Amino acid sequence: MLSAKKQTAGVKRKWYLPITIHRRPAEKKYKSFLSMLLFLGPALLFYSVFLLIPAIGGGYYSMTDWNGLARTHDFVGINNYIQALRDDPDFIHSIGFTLKYAVVILVVQNIAALGLAVMIEERAKSKTFFRTVFFMPNMLSLIITAFMWSFIFTTVLPQLSEWAFLTFLDQSWTSDPKISFYSIAIASLWRGIGYMMIIYIAALQGVPKHLKEAAIIDGASPFQTLLYVTLPMIMHAVTICLFMTLNDAFRVFDLVYALTGGGPGRSTQVIALNIYEEAFSGNYRYGYASAKAMILFIIVLVITMIQVSIMKKREVES
Amino acid sequence: MKKKTLLSFANFTLLLLFAVFALFPIYMAVINSFKTQKEIFNNVLALPSSLRFDNYLEAMSQINFFNSMWNTVVVTFVGMTGIIVCGALAGYKLARTKGKISTLFFLLFIASMLMPFHSIMITLTQIAKGLSVQGSTVGLGLIYIGLGVNMAIFLCHGFVKTIPKELEESAKIDGCSELQTFVKIIFPLLRPILITIAILNLLWLWNDFLLPLLMLTNVNDYTLILSINMFFGEYNNDWPSILASLVITAVPVIVFYMVFQKFIMKGIAEGAVKG
Repeated sequence: MLSAKKQTAGVKRKWYLPITIHRRPAEKKYKSFLSMLLFLGPALLFYSVFLLIPAIGGGYYSMTDWNGLARTHDFVGINNYIQALRDDPDFIHSIGFTLKYAVVILVVQNIAALGLAVMIEERAKSKTFFRTVFFMPNMLSLIITAFMWSFIFTTVLPQLSEWAFLTFLDQSWTSDPKISFYSIAIASLWRGIGYMMIIYIAALQGVPKHLKEAAIIDGASPFQTLLYVTLPMIMHAVTICLFMTLNDAFRVFDLVYALTGGGPGRSTQVIALNIYEEAFSGNYRYGYASAKAMILFIIVLVITMIQVSIMKKREVES
Repeated sequence: MKKKTLLSFANFTLLLLFAVFALFPIYMAVINSFKTQKEIFNNVLALPSSLRFDNYLEAMSQINFFNSMWNTVVVTFVGMTGIIVCGALAGYKLARTKGKISTLFFLLFIASMLMPFHSIMITLTQIAKGLSVQGSTVGLGLIYIGLGVNMAIFLCHGFVKTIPKELEESAKIDGCSELQTFVKIIFPLLRPILITIAILNLLWLWNDFLLPLLMLTNVNDYTLILSINMFFGEYNNDWPSILASLVITAVPVIVFYMVFQKFIMKGIAEGAVKG
């Protein structure tokens, strides 16, 4: 996605094949149209009906007062957007909560994943074992993850806290708004770190050995080698991982839905959950919810664009 | 040398600690799924006194295991096959056609890749209702084609550029039609990238929650994840059965992971680098 422009440009190809030269232009045009249709048709059909039209429709409905039940709706311009950003404390709170979540996940997940990747690459025999174990949580769906952690938070940890040295575990992990933020983050990190670790490991394996050896001969410590040689060499992976983490963090839904349901009250409600509630659980304010959904899209777009443009500058070629 | 051993030891300890963190919830779920409610509340860490499979029978009937599993297979199969076929066809054609129109189509496809699902879900639900694809597992699979094909096109598009054109030209001279060339020459050559696409989509479709929640209205059509969610909502204190249901849903995935681990990790790393 990041290098799409580069890929489409700069590839030169011959225009004509000797075999097609003798055809009349009209016939050729018709044939090429037909083959376009044959190859692109199926993808285009599904893509338009289930993604493109809903996306455009969402943009349109975000400027109406459509409630999903009535057949008619009025055009209200950007009123929905104004209302969402000015008069909707729950929505504003959900944006703040999601931002906080995104920042914590972004930092912790990537540092932990990179750290583990570097540490695993140092091992000889146990490498495969650790890689297998660390990535395993990622195979489970977010819903299963949430329920497993729900068991840990509501039953296992309170029981463990009866031991004298573990009393700090006696928290209302999912019912205290302040704590449940961390509960969500812990469950999310548990599942997410392994995924990023795999990408970092692949990147580390692509760093030429001779560069590291040269640094060591020049007297660099392992930490310096990591910081000044390895890290710049895997900057493209860092860009990708930050991009993916940010993207996922802003769309977080399943985990929060299943772990806290946004509660207690609406204290752990994330943006996606707020939109879902506005549209599907009782309110049916489709127009208004669409506006919120567009705001989410714009947030994701702007933040990832900024992130990618900052990171791209830091990448180096070997 | 001594410093190095110490460092290696610290490294190993840290990794081991994290391994405990990674395995602890799974271990807890597994051992407690064999206990009675009372045993759980007495000592959650203890091993079960006996292997009680009652919990599993209860869980399997509660989540309608085989039916839910079949539904999940149908959704995943329809979606995955569709994404691979449509994506390969379109990705190939777009990579091999020059000109503004081709570029425009390509951009049209990839422009939506940043769009969060939540931004389209409301209108999508309405459209699915209108087209009567809501409430059917096959219909849900078809929707996944629409949502997932852009990534497949993108990955195939990039891969086709690495295939030499001469192969197709000689096939053409030998009298193959464009479609024949694609089926017989290109499709097999695309295999590495198609495996990547298949794995990424398999993990997504099998584990997805929100779209099935919006689309499947009948309990008989529920996927595994939806059934578990419903079961948890109704009996959220019956930990033995719930844990058993979690374990039994996780087992096929973990087995799949153990067998295809190499492909999965390669798929993820490649999908990320090319994405």
